[in-house]
Amino acid sequence: MSFSIKKQGEVVVVDVEGQLIVGNRQELKQKVLDELEKGEKKFLIDFSQTGYIDSSGLGVLVSLSKKIREQGGELRLANLNDDLQTLFELTKLDTLFQISDTRERALESF
Amino acid sequence: MRELEAVLIAFREGTHCEAAVWAQSENQTKPTSIGRSSSAAEMPDVFPEEVGELASARDGSMTVTRLLGQRPVWLALGPCEPEHRLDPRHVKLLLPVVAQFMRSSLEVEHAAMELAERYEEINLLYTIGEILGRTVTLEDATTTILTEISETVGARHASILVHEPETNELRAVAALGIPASEIRPIPVDDPISVSARVFRTQHPVIIVGKEEITGKESPYGRGEMLSVPIMWTTPGGGEPLGVVNLADRRSRQRYTAGDMKLVTAIATQIGTAIQNSRLVSSSLEQQRLLQELSLAHDLQMKLLPSTDLVAPEAQVTARVIPAESVGGDFYQLFRLGEQGIGVMIGDVSGHGYRAALIMALAMSASAIHAQNSAGPAQMLTALLGSLREELETTEMFISVFYAEVDAPRGKLTYANTGHPHAFVVRDDGTVIRLSAESPPLGMTETAPSALSVDWKKGSDLLVLFTDGISDARNAADERLGEEAVLKVIAAHRALPTADIVEEVFTMLGGHITNVRIRDDLTLVILRS
Repeated sequence: MSFSIKKQGEVVVVDVEGQLIVGNRQELKQKVLDELEKGEKKFLIDFSQTGYIDSSGLGVLVSLSKKIREQGGELRLANLNDDLQTLFELTKLDTLFQISDTRERALESF
Repeated sequence: MRELEAVLIAFREGTHCEAAVWAQSENQTKPTSIGRSSSAAEMPDVFPEEVGELASARDGSMTVTRLLGQRPVWLALGPCEPEHRLDPRHVKLLLPVVAQFMRSSLEVEHAAMELAERYEEINLLYTIGEILGRTVTLEDATTTILTEISETVGARHASILVHEPETNELRAVAALGIPASEIRPIPVDDPISVSARVFRTQHPVIIVGKEEITGKESPYGRGEMLSVPIMWTTPGGGEPLGVVNLADRRSRQRYTAGDMKLVTAIATQIGTAIQNSRLVSSSLEQQRLLQELSLAHDLQMKLLPSTDLVAPEAQVTARVIPAESVGGDFYQLFRLGEQGIGVMIGDVSGHGYRAALIMALAMSASAIHAQNSAGPAQMLTALLGSLREELETTEMFISVFYAEVDAPRGKLTYANTGHPHAFVVRDDGTVIRLSAESPPLGMTETAPSALSVDWKKGSDLLVLFTDGISDARNAADERLGEEAVLKVIAAHRALPTADIVEEVFTMLGGHITNVRIRDDLTLVILRS
């Protein structure tokens, strides 16, 4: 379980490897907030390496999305696997985030 | 010295001259006799420094000579009875006998001292064993142990420092001869501190010379210090827990390798005491936490309504299994008079206390709102109003499905905020999903909307479960999946709800076997 952060153009891209769960969500949150603090505005979280997100993981995504919006920024998601895609649809979370199939499409959409 | 005196008396009998042995110990100003042929053997007025020199004393009536050896010991011969004179041959005869005697007695004395020291050490170990056996707190044990070691090695200043992992500092738990205010915590990475170095290297040191004891250790003073790591030995090696410092020796002698060995042995005992006390306190703390958790679990389970509440109009079976002793899943049942029966299932994000608190809040608030709202959408809007502040401050959210089942009119009205698994199972086995129309409460300000479906009295089933069930993993980390759950329910749809729930959990148990569940499991089935 780890998060890697890199900058692609103007966008801060976060890769979530493994799971996003109660045990590591704070780490993701802190990393993204640190970047926000530095003045970054555009964020993309890529879930292509992610197997599972629990409810507190979803909570962090929502809270990050709010915080980024408050600073005039934007958070987008990409590469949800089928299970995650279903989870987002069933819980109507897909209405809260802009979700792209691929990283490239997500980067283009900013 | 009776044997020595026997020799001296025999000498007098043979030669008619007195003989005596005089010795001077460190703290005496003049020599004292350690053996005399008689009381007539006077103390000489001359004690030569040179070994082997024959000095004349008391106006030539005596001859005095110093014996070979570290200790200043003299053989004094004379005075002789009238008509008798000291023969140099007699001196030559007696001298080696007395010298040999003195050497032997010195050896015996050394052996006795050594034995006495060992005895003291053994005594100390026994005492420490007793202290550890009877004292309860670490502070008591360390203070008593420190007093005992200091007594034994004669240290006037001493301390026991214990490592605190949170701050990575060495902190005094016991001190002797140093005001507590002067012992400041020492960071483990302090470059100057002797204690920090001993802790890092796990090797004891003897510091000689004042210049090395500076900084945080200056209160120990007097340039002599023995610092020994306190080790906790585990099968995988050792782990340092702290440091014992002894300084300012009463005798002004240096600390020896023997002292170091003794203190190292005792430090191991202290290590065991520290570790034991930590284990005891953490196990007490754990016990207390477990008790509180089990109390919270009982409370939480008591909040869940009895399914008899809605009987006989509805047959309901519900089961909640929290992943931890307190969880965030819940269900709620209401009698609504004209509108029929209200059923709610909810899942608070996260587990533990905070989730349980929000769950309790949701349970009580919904009980009020269900009675006063015109339909499910208004009820969930009102519920969000009650929970909003709590959800915002805790960054939690709550997925809720709420339905009103009006069996006489053949209608089920529902509102769903982010709850993924809500279904109607018809008597022909058809499954209808009651989808979420908006995200979970706490994520948006979107007002929930309500939908309705037909309801067939007495045969349709309302099936509600949380993702803990569909996401339950087996040993190969495979999800159980929603379809498997629905299949079992559809297959047993004609059975009493209690039996259907039982079938689902039997299947679930077969899937997860002995894998620990990581989310709460909740299933509610209603027929009305």
